[in-house]
Amino acid sequence: MTAAQEHLDPALRVEALTSLLTERGLVDPATVENFIKTYEQSVGPMNGAKVVARAWTDPEYRARLLADGTAAIAELGYKGPQGEHIVALENTPSLHNVVVCTLCSCYPWPVLGLPPSWYKDPAYRSRVVREPRQVLAEFGLYLEPDVQVRVFDSSSEVRYMVLPERPPRTDDLSEDELAALVTRDSMVGVARVSEPARLKGAPQASGETP
Amino acid sequence: MDGIHDMGGMQGFGRTMSARADPPFAEPWEGKAFALGLLAIRASGTNLHAFRHAINRVPPAEYLSGYFDRWLMGAQNLLADSGIVSDDEVAARAARLSGREAEEPPPPEPHKPEMTSGGPGNLRSLGTPPAFAVGDAVRTRDLDPAGHTRLPRYVRRRTGTVTAILPAQVFPDSAAHFLGEDPQHVYAVEFASDELWGPGAEPFSLTIDLYEPYLEPTS
Amino acid sequence: MTGPGGHADTSYLLDASGPAAPPRDNGELTFAAPWESQAFGLALALHEAGRFDWEDFRRRLIAEIGSWEASHPSGEAWSYYGCWLSALERLVSERGLVGGDDLRDRAAMIAARPPDHGAPSQGPPGHRHDHPQDMAPAPSGASHAD
Repeated sequence: MTAAQEHLDPALRVEALTSLLTERGLVDPATVENFIKTYEQSVGPMNGAKVVARAWTDPEYRARLLADGTAAIAELGYKGPQGEHIVALENTPSLHNVVVCTLCSCYPWPVLGLPPSWYKDPAYRSRVVREPRQVLAEFGLYLEPDVQVRVFDSSSEVRYMVLPERPPRTDDLSEDELAALVTRDSMVGVARVSEPARLKGAPQASGETP
Repeated sequence: MDGIHDMGGMQGFGRTMSARADPPFAEPWEGKAFALGLLAIRASGTNLHAFRHAINRVPPAEYLSGYFDRWLMGAQNLLADSGIVSDDEVAARAARLSGREAEEPPPPEPHKPEMTSGGPGNLRSLGTPPAFAVGDAVRTRDLDPAGHTRLPRYVRRRTGTVTAILPAQVFPDSAAHFLGEDPQHVYAVEFASDELWGPGAEPFSLTIDLYEPYLEPTS
Repeated sequence: MTGPGGHADTSYLLDASGPAAPPRDNGELTFAAPWESQAFGLALALHEAGRFDWEDFRRRLIAEIGSWEASHPSGEAWSYYGCWLSALERLVSERGLVGGDDLRDRAAMIAARPPDHGAPSQGPPGHRHDHPQDMAPAPSGASHAD
C-alpha cells in the first residue's frame, strides 16, 4: 500500500478491499454484515439479556442458573475472560441485589460486555457500598423500606450478574421479546426491567435499549 | 497498599454519573504512549494481579483525573518494574518527540520475573479443606499491606457471616509480587451495614469475596 | 465458543483498554461512519475465515498506532479505524490475499462510478451495492445469523 493510496478516502479503500476479498472467495460478505449488526446492537448486554429471558421462561434453566451460573451461561455459548466463575443473583419482590467493584472495575464481561463509565467512576465505587439506596434513587430506582438490599463487591475473580424480576403483564411475550426488555442496568442492579409500553391495547415489546 | 484505588466508602465524590460517555480517543498522547500498552505488558512477564497493582500505584491525582488512561500508566509501571523500559527513557523520548532536546539514557537491564503457573486462569483446587463453613461468624484481619491486597479498608476489623464457599483462587497478595500463586480458599462474607458504617447507616447488607488469609474466627 | 448467532463470540479478541482498544461509549463500540464498522466487520470476518491469527492483526494495529503517533502530519485528527484499516491492508497484502496494485486499481474503478450510484459504503449497515460486472455473487452464508 503506497503512501499515496493511504490518503484515499477510507470509505473507498474499505469498499475496494471488501469487493476484492469477496470476489476471491476469501471472505463472506454475510459474515461481515453479521459482525457489524451484532456489535452495533451492544453484543455484551445482549448476551446477559438472553440468559435472563431464558431463566424467566424456563424454570429448570433458572434453577440451573442459580445453582451454577458459569455452566448455565455457557449453555448459551457465553464464556471467556472475566467469566471464570459467574454467580447469578436473584432479585425478588423482597430482595434487591446490586453489584460493584470498589477496588477497580471488575465486571462480568461474557454476559454484559464492557462496563459503562459510571460503573468505573469513583462516585459509584465509593458510594454504593455505603449508601446504596441513595445511589439507586439517583439512578431512578426507589425501593420500599421492606425490600432488603444486598450489595456485592467483586473483590475476587468471581463475577456477579443480577437476575432481575420479570415485569408484570408479559405472559404473552416470546423469549426474544422478553430479552429485548432486559437492560444492562437491570443486570448490574441499578434498575428494574420496565414493563413494555402498550399502544391501544395491542401487545408490543419495547423498552430501554441495553 | 492503602492507595487511592481503595475507595469503598470514601466520601466527597458527588453524584453518580448515570450516562456519561467514555472519554474520546481523540487525545494526542504524550510520550507515555511510547510504551504501547498491552504488548508491553506481555513483554514484562506480568499477570493480572501485578497489572492491577501497577495501576493502583499510579499517583492519586493522575488516577482520578482520567486525563491519562490509567491502564497505560499501569503498563509503564510494569515495564519499569521488569527493566524493559525505564521511566527516564520514556520522559526523554517524550521530550524529543515534542521537539525538545533530551539525552536518552541507556536502556535498563531486563529482569523479567519468573513465576510458575498452576494452570490457566485463577481458579485452583486445594488439597486442604476450607477453614470456615457457611454460617460461620468470621472477623477480618487488620492488615497493613505494603503491597497488593484485595481486602479493602472499609471491611477491615469487622465481623461478618460466611454465606458461600467460592472456588479457591490464586492469591493476589502473593501473585502480584511474583512470590508464587499461593492459592487460597475464598469465601463470600456478608456484613450488616451498621457493622461497617455505624448505627446511622442505611439498612442493607454488604457481601464481599475474601481470601482465607484475610479472615480469622471470631472466638 | 459459538454463540446463538451461529458464529463465534469474538468480543474477547478486542482489547478492553489501552491504545489498541476500539473506541467505546459507556462500554459499547462506537463507529463514526459506516466505513468504520465495515472495516471492523471485515477484519473479524477474515479472522473467522482463518485468514490470519488475531495476534498478527493486533501487532500491526499497535504498530500503525505507534507510527501515527510518531509521525502523523500536524493537524491530522486521530482516527482509530484509520489505523485499523491501514493495518488490515498491510496484513492482507503481506499474506498475498490482495496486492497493493489491485487495491489501487479497484479503488480507482469505484471512484470512477457515475455519481448516481452513490458514494462507497454510505448506506446503512446491511446495504450491499452489487455490481454484477465487478463483484462475484456472495456465497450463501452458512453463518447468517437470526
